[in-house]
Amino acid sequence: MKEHCSHRTDCLKMIQLILDGEATEQQLARLKVNLESCKPCIEMYHLEKEVKELLTKRMEKKCCPDQLVATIKSKILSFS
Amino acid sequence: MATIQEVMSDTPTRDDDQLLPDGDPIDQPSADTPARGYTDEQKYRIFNKEFMPHIDSMYNFAFRLTTDEDDANDLVQDTYLKAFRFISSFEQGTNAKAWLFRILKNSFINDYRKKSKEPAKVDYQDVETTYNSEDAEAEHTVDLRAESVSDLIGDEVATALNSLPVDFRTVIILCDIEGFTYEEMAKILDIPIGTVRSRLHRARNLLKEKLRDYASSMGYNEENEE
Repeated sequence: MKEHCSHRTDCLKMIQLILDGEATEQQLARLKVNLESCKPCIEMYHLEKEVKELLTKRMEKKCCPDQLVATIKSKILSFS
Repeated sequence: MATIQEVMSDTPTRDDDQLLPDGDPIDQPSADTPARGYTDEQKYRIFNKEFMPHIDSMYNFAFRLTTDEDDANDLVQDTYLKAFRFISSFEQGTNAKAWLFRILKNSFINDYRKKSKEPAKVDYQDVETTYNSEDAEAEHTVDLRAESVSDLIGDEVATALNSLPVDFRTVIILCDIEGFTYEEMAKILDIPIGTVRSRLHRARNLLKEKLRDYASSMGYNEENEE
């Protein structure tokens, strides 16, 4: 298991592409190899995944107030 | 440690949504825009069936941009009225959500940013140039661990996100909260995909620095972990 990664920035970019669903098959294959052999890459992968999940799952989703929906609809109807 | 199976199962897949129609009229209404002769009935149907279902996402985006409920109300209302006014340039069956987000983002830049309560606007090009320099690239890794952010709560994440320059905040919202593809983001923001990718990378590094401050304040740091 590698304790030091000499391509941290490139690996980090690749990890982000993969978590975003934007990576190529080749990049995915490279990450799989890294995650079996490189400790810093494993840690970066977990951190990036955790931060992405914080944003997707833990942030409050603000809903549009009903009053605003009603106002928009009434204004649209007055256009014609 | 992540197994290969975990990596594979975690890898999101995205459908190839249809993108925005060509000739967006919202920036510059012009004769070049292919006008579609919808009847009034068709306009209302498109508005209700294709635009209104996205109103919660739009409001959430507006609130995350303005960080103010009244401003978010105004921005969403303006966006929907503009969308209706320019509905003849929307092609049915294309990506209505991305089209609406683009209008909202343009309205925010043109109308709301000027009167924003935010401190002096950060020129993101300057910030990106700094972060893009070779030195920054080489040294820029954030000393933060997954375990130390796992206990952070939504308010802390929101505060960290809000503290980012708005252009960096925007790419994180579009990608991580709304799940747009890089290609959709490029169209919404009028920037090349390469810029989307690099801006997102910088934005996440900045966000992790903010989260590290919270994690440290909660007592998670390297000393405690060793």
